[in-house]
Amino acid sequence: MNEKDQYKNRIELLQGTLDMLILQTLQWGPQHGYGIVQALRLRSGDVLQVETGSLYPALHRLERQSWVQSEWKQSESKQKARYYRITAKGKKQLASDLGRWERIVEAIGSVMYVKPEESES
Amino acid sequence: MKWFPSFGFQRRKRELQEEIDAHLQMAIADRVARGETAETARQAAAREFGNIPLVQDVTRDMWGQAWLEQLGRDVRYALRQLRKSPGFTITATAMLAVAICANSTVFSWIDGTMLRPIPGARDTGDLVSLQRGERNFSPTPPLSYLDYRDLREQNHTFAGILAYHNDWIALTGGAQPERVYIANVSANYFDVLGIKPVLGRFFLSDEESLAIPNVVLGYSLWKTRYAKDPAIVGKSIEVARHPVTVIGVAPEGFVGAAPGLRDDLWVTLDPLGTDVWRMTHRDSDWLIVIGRLRPGVSRGQAAQDLDTVMHHIVVAYPDQHLGDNRITLDPMWRSPFGANGYMAATLPILLAFAGVVLLLTSANVATLTLVRFVSRRRELAIRQSLGANRIQLVRQMMLEGAVLSIVAGVVALVLTSWTSKTFAWFFPANSIPLALNGTMDHRVVIGIAVFSLLAGMLCGALPAWRSSHAPALEVLKAESASISGGSRNRKLLNGLVVAQIALSLPLLICSGLFLQTLRNLAAANPGFEQDHVLTASVGLNIAGYSNDEAQLIRHKILDRTSALPGVEVASLTDWIPMTLIQKRNDAYPEGYVPHPHESLLVENAEVGPRYFESLHIPILEGREFTLNDDEKAPRVLVVDQTAARRFWPGQDPLGKGLKVWGRLFTVVGVARNSTHTFVNESPEPMVYMSYFQHPGYETMVQVRTAGNPVDLEPVMENTIHEIDTRLPVFDVRPMRESTQMASTFAVIQSTLAGMFALIGLVLAITGIYGVVSYRTQMRTHEIGVRMALGASRVDVLRLVLLQGLWLTGIGLALGLAFALGLTRIIVRLLYGIGANDPITVVSVVMLLGAMSLAACYLPAHRAMRRNPVTAIREL
Repeated sequence: MNEKDQYKNRIELLQGTLDMLILQTLQWGPQHGYGIVQALRLRSGDVLQVETGSLYPALHRLERQSWVQSEWKQSESKQKARYYRITAKGKKQLASDLGRWERIVEAIGSVMYVKPEESES
Repeated sequence: MKWFPSFGFQRRKRELQEEIDAHLQMAIADRVARGETAETARQAAAREFGNIPLVQDVTRDMWGQAWLEQLGRDVRYALRQLRKSPGFTITATAMLAVAICANSTVFSWIDGTMLRPIPGARDTGDLVSLQRGERNFSPTPPLSYLDYRDLREQNHTFAGILAYHNDWIALTGGAQPERVYIANVSANYFDVLGIKPVLGRFFLSDEESLAIPNVVLGYSLWKTRYAKDPAIVGKSIEVARHPVTVIGVAPEGFVGAAPGLRDDLWVTLDPLGTDVWRMTHRDSDWLIVIGRLRPGVSRGQAAQDLDTVMHHIVVAYPDQHLGDNRITLDPMWRSPFGANGYMAATLPILLAFAGVVLLLTSANVATLTLVRFVSRRRELAIRQSLGANRIQLVRQMMLEGAVLSIVAGVVALVLTSWTSKTFAWFFPANSIPLALNGTMDHRVVIGIAVFSLLAGMLCGALPAWRSSHAPALEVLKAESASISGGSRNRKLLNGLVVAQIALSLPLLICSGLFLQTLRNLAAANPGFEQDHVLTASVGLNIAGYSNDEAQLIRHKILDRTSALPGVEVASLTDWIPMTLIQKRNDAYPEGYVPHPHESLLVENAEVGPRYFESLHIPILEGREFTLNDDEKAPRVLVVDQTAARRFWPGQDPLGKGLKVWGRLFTVVGVARNSTHTFVNESPEPMVYMSYFQHPGYETMVQVRTAGNPVDLEPVMENTIHEIDTRLPVFDVRPMRESTQMASTFAVIQSTLAGMFALIGLVLAITGIYGVVSYRTQMRTHEIGVRMALGASRVDVLRLVLLQGLWLTGIGLALGLAFALGLTRIIVRLLYGIGANDPITVVSVVMLLGAMSLAACYLPAHRAMRRNPVTAIREL
C-alpha cells in the first residue's frame, strides 16, 4: 500500500495537469492512448511530451474513477485499439480542474509579475 | 495465483498487453509512413515507449487489485526461497511445530477442563459455585436442603440457584448390576444450566421435594445400556432394586454440573421418600450449590447478598449453624467442587512454561533466519538496487517467517488433535468418575493461530527489521571485505543467544525442582504402610440391601476374607487415604463454646476392627476398635494426634467427649498422625469412628497380604461373590495403586516441566553452537592471518571459546534473575525443597554452562586445526 502512495507522490505535480490534459483531449472525441500522445504533442507545438509510464496509469485511474469509459474499436488504419471516451462525470471534473488551473495560473502570475513598489506599499 | 478469484485480473492483464501492442504498432506505422525503415521505426518506437514491464506494473497498480498479485508473487518467492534450503526449512518448521504444539496441548487441556466446566451448559461464565465457611481446597457440600431453599427464595442477585448431590448407585434389574454415578438434583437443575432434553422432559418444580420416583438418563447410559431406545420415556427401570420411571434423556455431551465428573443419571432430591431426615434438617449439609448471576450483577455483590440471607438463617437457627457460615463464590473455572480446583492450580503454570518454550524457539528460529539472511545479503542488495523498496524486502522476510509458522501451525494442529487426548493418561486407576480430558475445538484452533502468529512475528520480524536497515550500496561494497557480518548483526545474534540461555535456565531449574518434589513425595512416609495392602469396594450401599442385611454381609465378608490363605489381617473402611476423597464434619469437644465463625471441621472415616493394625498405624494411647463397638455399645472414637492436641492441649484425651452430628462420642484411643490426602498437606484433625457402630456409606475391604497383593485379587473377588452373587464388587486393587492419585498433579507438573526443559536445553545449546560456529566460519580468514602471524593454536582456541563463554555467562546471569521470579509462582507446588534450592540452581547452572562450553568447543577445535594457508585463501 505504502509503495503506491510513494508512486503517487512522485507524480503528484503532474497528476492534476495530466488528468486535465487527457480529459481536454477527449473533449474533441474518443481517442486511444497513442492518439492522445500525438494530439498533446501537436497542440502544444512539440512542447508537451507525455511519458507512456504516466499516460497509461493515468488513463486506467481515470477509468476507475469513471471519468472516462473505454471500448475496443478498429482505428482508421485497421488497427484494433482501445478508445477512451469522456463521461459526464469526467466533463464535470474537467471543468473543476480547469477552474483550479486558472486560479493557480493567476495566483502564480500575480506573484511573478508583481511590481516591487506595489509590494512594498 | 490460481487460488485467487483472478479470472478478471488475467483478462485485464491481457488487454493491457494488447493496448500497449496497439500503441507500438501505431507508432511504428506513423514512422514508416514518414519514410523510416521498418527496423529503425520499431526500435525508435520501443525506445520512445520506454520500459514496457514497468509501465504495465505501474498501470496495474491503478486497478486496486495489485496487492493481491504482489502477495501471491511474494508467497511464491518465499516458498521458492524456503525450498532452496530444505535443511533450514525442515528444522525451523519442526522446532516451531513442537513449540506451538506444547502450547496448544496445555491450552487444549485448559480448554477441556477449566474453560468447559459444564459441557453443554449455557453461558457458564455467569455460573458461580458456592462455599460456606472456611475456604478449602476440597470442601464438603455447603448447604442443607432448607438452607438452600431459603437462599434460593430470598436472594436478589441470582437468576436461579441449583443444588445437587452425587453418589454411586447400582442399576439392577439387568443380568449384571451396573455401578453408575447418580445425582440428586433440585427441580430447576437443568433449567438453571440451560439444558434441553433430547427425549421426554426434565423435572417440574412441584416434584422437587416429593417422593416421585422419576429418573432422567444421561445420553451415554441411554446409548450403552438401553441401545438408544426411542420409546424409553415412560418405561420403568430398576435403580438399587427400586422401580423408577424414565421421564427424559439428557442431550449428548452433558455429564452433570460437577466439573470433571461424569453423572450417568439424575433423580430428584428424595425420589423414594427414604431421605426425609436430610430433607427436613438444617444441620445436614449435603447439597452442592451453583447459581446463575443475574445480568450485571458481580460475584462480590452476589456473595454479599447471600451472606445477608445466610446471616438471618444463622440468627434464626443458631444451633444448626455453629462454626463459620460466611458465603464465598467462585467462578466455575476454579470451582472447588469437582476437578477444576486442582486444574486451576496446575495448568496455567504449565501454560506459562510452554509460553517460555515458544519464546525460546522463536529466538532460535530468528537466529537461524538471521544467519541465513546474512548469507543472502547480496541477493537482497541486488533486489534493492533493481528497484525493490525496503517495504517490499521487509514484507518478503516477514512472509518467509509467516509461511514457516503457518506450516508449523498446521503440523501442530494435527499433533494437538492427538496430544489433547493424552491428558487422561495421567490419571491412575481410581474410584472417581473422572471425565477429564483436553478438547480440540474452535478455541484451540484460534489458540494455535495466535501462537503461530506470535512465533511468525518473532522469528520473521526481527530479521526483517534488521534487513530494512541495511543500505544496499554498503552491503554490496562491504560484501567481500566483511568478516563477521557487521557489528549490528553481531549484536542481534548475541542478543538472541543470550535470550535463549536466559530462557532455558529457569525452565531447567523449575523442572529440577519438580522432579525432586516428585522424588520427595514418593519417598515420604505417609504414616501408614501401604505395600502389601489390597482393597476392594463392595456395592452394599448402592444395591438396595436393608441395614440389617448389609451388616450381616459385612460380618461375613470380614470372616471369610480373614480366613483366606495369604491374608494376614482383614478390616473394613469407608475411605482410602490419598485418593483425593475426603469426608468432613463439624466436631465439638464437650463443653466447648466455639467463637463466631470458628471452623470446627474435622476429617472423619469409619473404620472396622484391626484397621490400624492392617495399615501399621500405631495406637499411641488407649485402644483400637473391636467387634464389640457396635450399634448397642456406647459411642466411641479414635482421634489422631492433631485432633488430640487441638481439642485437649496438655490433657489426656482418653475418656473425653466429642459431639458429632449432635451425638456425643467418647475418645477411646489416639492414633499416630498419617497422611490424609496429600503428603504435603497441613495436617487437619482426624476422627475415626467404629464401622460396626456407625456403618460408613462405602464398604471397602482392606486386607494386609503376606505376598504380592495383586495375586489375591481374583480370590478376593470370588470370596465376596460367594456370599451373594448380586453383590457388585469393584475397584479391587493394591493400595499402592490407589494412593498414586495423590501424586497425579506432581507427576503432570514434573513430566511437562521436564519435557519443556529438555526442549529448552536442546534449543539453547544448538543455538549457541550455531552462532559460534557460524561466527568462527566467518572469521576463518582472520584466524588464518593470526596463525600465520604467530598465534598459537591455544590462542585461537581461547579466542573462539571466550566469545561463546561471554554470551553464556551473560545468559546465565539474566536467566538466574528470571528464574527467581518464575520459581516464586511454583513454590506452592513444591515439597521438601525450597524454591531457590542452591544445589538445584548450582547444578543446573553447571549443566547449562558445561553444555554450552562443549557447544563452543567444537567450532573452536575445528578452527584451531585449520591449516593457516588454506584458511587465508578462503573467503
